[in-house]
Amino acid sequence: MEWNFRNIDKEAELNLKHFFWKCTACGTCRSGYTFGPPPTFRKICPQGQKFGFEGFFASKGKAALARWMTSDPILKNEFEWTPEYLKTLYTCTGCAGCQNQCQIDFKPHIIDTIEAMRAKAVQDGVGPLKDHNVLVQSMRNNDNPYTGPRGMRAKWMKGLDVKDINKEDSSVLYFAGCTPAYNAPIRQLAVKTVSVFNKIGVDFGTLGKKEVCCGSTVLRLGAREEFKRVAEKNLEIFKNLHDERGVDTIVTSCAGCYRCILEDYEIADDFKDYMDGITIKHTADFIYDLYKEGKFEPKNEIDMKVTYHDPCHLGRHVKDWKVDWDGSQQWKGSYLDVEDKGTFEQPRELIKAIPGIKYEEMRRNRNNSYCCGSGGGVKTAFPDWAAENAALRVEEAEQTGAEKIITCCPFCHANLNDGAKVRNSQLRTIDLVELLDEAL
Amino acid sequence: MAGDPNILKELQGIVGEEQATSDKHIMYAYSYDMSFVKNKLPAYVVLPENAEEVQQIVKLANKTKTPLIPYVAGTNIGGLCIPEKDNSIVMDLKRMNRIIRIDEDSRYAIIEPGVSHAQLAEELYKRGLRFGWPVGPPSASVLACAICHGIGGITGRYGLNSEQITSMEVVRPTGEVARVGSCAIQEDSWHSLLPLPLLNGLFTGWLGTTGVVTKIGIFTPAIPPEVEIVTTATDTLQDMYKYMLQMGRYEIADDLTAVSWWLSQVPIPYPYKEKPKDAPEWNSYAVLYAYTPKELEAKLEMFEQTVKDQQKAGSSLQVTQYPEEARRARTELPSQIVGSTKNYSKEAGGGISWPGTFTPANRWVDVWEKWRDIYTKRNLSPSVRVTMYRGTHYGMLRAMTPLNKQYPDQVENARMAIVEALQVLLDNGGIPYKPPVDFWKEIFDRADPGFVQLIQDVKDFIDPNNIMNPGKLLYR
Ligand SMILES: Cc1cc2nc3c(=O)[nH]c(=O)nc-3n(C[C@H](O)[C@H](O)[C@H](O)COP(=O)(O)OP(=O)(O)OC[C@H]3O[C@@H](n4cnc5c(N)ncnc54)[C@H](O)[C@@H]3O)c2cc1C
Ligand code: SF4
Ligand code: SF4
Repeated sequence: MEWNFRNIDKEAELNLKHFFWKCTACGTCRSGYTFGPPPTFRKICPQGQKFGFEGFFASKGKAALARWMTSDPILKNEFEWTPEYLKTLYTCTGCAGCQNQCQIDFKPHIIDTIEAMRAKAVQDGVGPLKDHNVLVQSMRNNDNPYTGPRGMRAKWMKGLDVKDINKEDSSVLYFAGCTPAYNAPIRQLAVKTVSVFNKIGVDFGTLGKKEVCCGSTVLRLGAREEFKRVAEKNLEIFKNLHDERGVDTIVTSCAGCYRCILEDYEIADDFKDYMDGITIKHTADFIYDLYKEGKFEPKNEIDMKVTYHDPCHLGRHVKDWKVDWDGSQQWKGSYLDVEDKGTFEQPRELIKAIPGIKYEEMRRNRNNSYCCGSGGGVKTAFPDWAAENAALRVEEAEQTGAEKIITCCPFCHANLNDGAKVRNSQLRTIDLVELLDEAL
Repeated sequence: MAGDPNILKELQGIVGEEQATSDKHIMYAYSYDMSFVKNKLPAYVVLPENAEEVQQIVKLANKTKTPLIPYVAGTNIGGLCIPEKDNSIVMDLKRMNRIIRIDEDSRYAIIEPGVSHAQLAEELYKRGLRFGWPVGPPSASVLACAICHGIGGITGRYGLNSEQITSMEVVRPTGEVARVGSCAIQEDSWHSLLPLPLLNGLFTGWLGTTGVVTKIGIFTPAIPPEVEIVTTATDTLQDMYKYMLQMGRYEIADDLTAVSWWLSQVPIPYPYKEKPKDAPEWNSYAVLYAYTPKELEAKLEMFEQTVKDQQKAGSSLQVTQYPEEARRARTELPSQIVGSTKNYSKEAGGGISWPGTFTPANRWVDVWEKWRDIYTKRNLSPSVRVTMYRGTHYGMLRAMTPLNKQYPDQVENARMAIVEALQVLLDNGGIPYKPPVDFWKEIFDRADPGFVQLIQDVKDFIDPNNIMNPGKLLYR
C-alpha cells in the first residue's frame, strides 16, 4: 500500500517548504482572539505558555523550526540535530490551537509540517525521544503502545454481553482502542460504551483480542513505518468485516482513533477501495444521531453541574480544507476556506438533554478550546508537564462551578484527572458515555 | 552554543535556568521578522518576569558591554528587534503581561510591556473603554506600539498612540529605575505627563535604544454608542485629498483614511496587477463615532455637505457602498483578519515592509505619483494608504509592500522600491516611522547636523556603553 506522506525536505512545486515560508511571523497564532463583540482573548498554545521562547510558541515557532531544519536561504545554515531542538519539536502537543488562528496559506499545512519534521527526526535516527521508544517498541511487539500483551486486550469486556464480530454479523463495529483496554483507570470508558449501546438497543460487535491499535500515537511521533504496519492491518480488517460481516459503521469512543482513521488513513492510495461503504464515527456522534432519530431519551435525573472539554482530535482537528492547488481560483496553493467537520455541538446537546443537568461553558471552548496537554507524545515524554498543563484546564473548569468535567477522549480524560491531582482539586473528569449511562 | 557561557550562566542566575538560552534554533526564531531586514542571530534570549529581573539583566549587559534588545512580539515591520551587533541578548518581555490597573473614572490603564492588544481590548471593552488599536496583530504589545509612535483607529480624533501615554516607568541602560510623569511624584498617580518636563521623550521613538520601559499609563477613551462609516471613491488622489481636507477640518472622524485600489484588494496583488479601467483609483472611509443620535446626525450632515461641495467644484468624488466585511474591519479592532497580515501578504507570502511615514497632506499627491512609478517599475503593487491626523494637521502616507521571504532576490527588489520611495518622501518633507537602519542613512544624509549630533549626544549620555539595541540609530 502506498502512503502519500508529506516530507519536510521533498523537492516539489507545492511542497511543505512553499507553505512554511508563507508564514509572516505575525504571531497571531499565539493567542485565541475574536473581536466578538465583546472581544475575547485566550491563551491557546500550551507549549508556548510553558516554555516561553519563540520557537516553542505556536505555529510561528514551528515555521521557524522548519526553516532552520531545511536551511535559511540567507544564513545558509547547516542543520544539526541537538537534544534542545528535539525537545522543542517534541513538546508541541499538536493540538492545532495555533492553526485555528492563522489566516495565511500556511494554515492548512501546519500540523503536517510538525509531523513531517518529526518523521525526519525518526528517519535520521534521532527521534522520537528516549521515553517514546518504549511506546514504539511496544507497537512493534504488541500492536499497542502500552506494552500490554495482545491477549490482555479483551480483558475489559470480561462478563459483558458483547458480540464477537469475528464470528457474528453486525453492521456496527465498536472499535474500543488501546487506552480503555490497557489503562485501568480508563477501562470504564469501554465498559460504559457497551452498557449505553445495550441500553439503547444498538446491534454491534467488537474485535476482541484481534483489535489492532489505530497507529495514532506512533504517527504523531513521526514513526511512520510502525504506523503504516498497523494501519494497513486495520484497513484489511475493516474491509473483511465489511465484505464478510456486513459492517458499514465503525464507532470509536477515542478521539485519537477517530481522527486517525478518518483523516490519516485517507492518505493511503487504496483508502477508498478499502473503506468503500464504511463510515467512521465517534461515539458522541453516533449516539447523538440515534437520539435525534428518537431512538432514546435520557430519563434519569442527574442533579449536577457540568462543563465540557473539547478534545482536539474530535473537534478542531477535523476539518475540510479548501486549497487552490491548481491556481484556478486565486493562486497555486492559496488557502481558500475551511469547513468544520468537528464534533462540537453533539456532546453538548446530549449533556443538556439529561434532566436535572446544569451546564456551564468554559471560557475556552470549541475551536478555541485549550488542549489538556496530553497529545503529540507529550504525556509519555513529559508526564509532569502534561499534568501541570491539565491542571490549568481543571482550574478553568473550576471557574464554571462544575462538579464534573465531561469529555470524549480517553487521553484527555486521564490527563485531566492527573491535572486535578496536581491542583489537589476534587473536580473529576468522566466520559460522556459514563454520564449517559447514568441517565439511561 | 553561541555566545559566552558565563553570560548565559549569569542570565540564568537572574531569571532561572529555563528562562535564558543560547540554543541555536531558538536564536534563529529571533533572527528574523516579516520585513526586508536581513536576519542575524542573537547569542542569548532571556525571559524576565518583572522589573527587578529586567534591572539585573540591564546591569549585567552594561557591566559586560553586551548589546541588549527589548522584544515583545517583534511585529514592528522594521527589523527593529533583529540584532545589528554580534553577541546580543534579546530580552523577550512577553511574560511581563500584567494589566496593573484600569482607572475607569480617570480613563487610563497601567500596563506592562507584554500586555497585548487582544488582552487589553477584552478588559477595556468590559468597561466601555477603548484604545488606538492598530491594524496589526492582536498578539502584539500595546506598550511597544505606544512608545514607537504607533497609529490606531482613534488617531484622527486623539492623535498618535504615543500621545496617549500618561506616565512611565523605565530601567535606564545603566540600571537605575526612573519614573516620568505624575507617577514619579505620587506612586499611584499615573494620569499625566504634563506639566512636568516631557522626559518620556527620552524613551518614545527611540526604538528601544535608550532603556527598557517596564510600565506605562495610557489614556483609554470611552466607546461612543453611535457609529457610522461613510465611504467615497475618486478617480485621483488629488480629488480624494481635497475631500479629506474639507472633512478633516470639521474634525468629526476618529479615522479618516483613503487607500489606493491595490490596497483595497484582499490581499494586495503580488506581483503588480493592472487596475481595471473603470475602477476608481482611490477609496476612502471615515469612521464617525457619536455619543447621541443627534451628534451622529450632525456629523452625517457635514459629510453630505462636503460631498455636495466637492462635486460642485468638479470632483470625481462618489459616495460608495462599503462591503459589510470591510465595514467591520474599520471598527472591529484589534482584528485577527487584518492583523494576521492576510489582507496584505497572503499572495506574496512570508513578508511585508513599508515606507510608513508622517507627511504633510498637501505633499501626498506629488509623492504618490512618484511612488506609483517606482512600484510599478519593480512589478509591485502601489498599495498606498493616506490618513489624516488631528484634523488636517498632517497625515500618514505609507505603502504596504508585500514580499516573498523565501526568495532573497524578491526581498531585495522590495527593499529597493521602499528605499527609493523613502528618498522621494524625505525630499518632500515626510518622516518615516519605526525606521529600519536603511532608513536612518537616508534621514541623516538630509538632516540638520545639529539634530544628528543631538541624537548622538543624548544617546551617549543616557547609554554610555551603547548597550541598548546598538546600531539601530545607524551611528549608535
Ligand atoms: C500587518 C501589520 C499591521 C500593522 N499595523 C500597524 C498600525 O496600524 N499601527 C501601528 O502602530 N503599528 C502597526 N503594526 C506594527 C506593530 O504590530 C505594532 O506597532 C505593535 O504593537 C508592536 O508591538 P510588538 O510587540 O511587535 O513590538 P516589537 O516589535 O517587539 O518592538 C518594537 C520596538 O520597540 C522596542 N521595545 C519593545 N518593548 C520595549 C520596552 N519595553 N522598552 C523599550 N523598548 C521596547 C523594540 O526594541 C523595538 O525596537 C503592524 C504590524 C503588522 C504586522
Ligand atoms: S503561522 Fe500564521 S498566524 Fe502564526 S505567525 Fe505564521 S502567518 Fe502568523
Ligand atoms: S499545536 Fe498546540 S502546542 Fe503545538 S504549537 Fe500549536 S498551539 Fe502550541
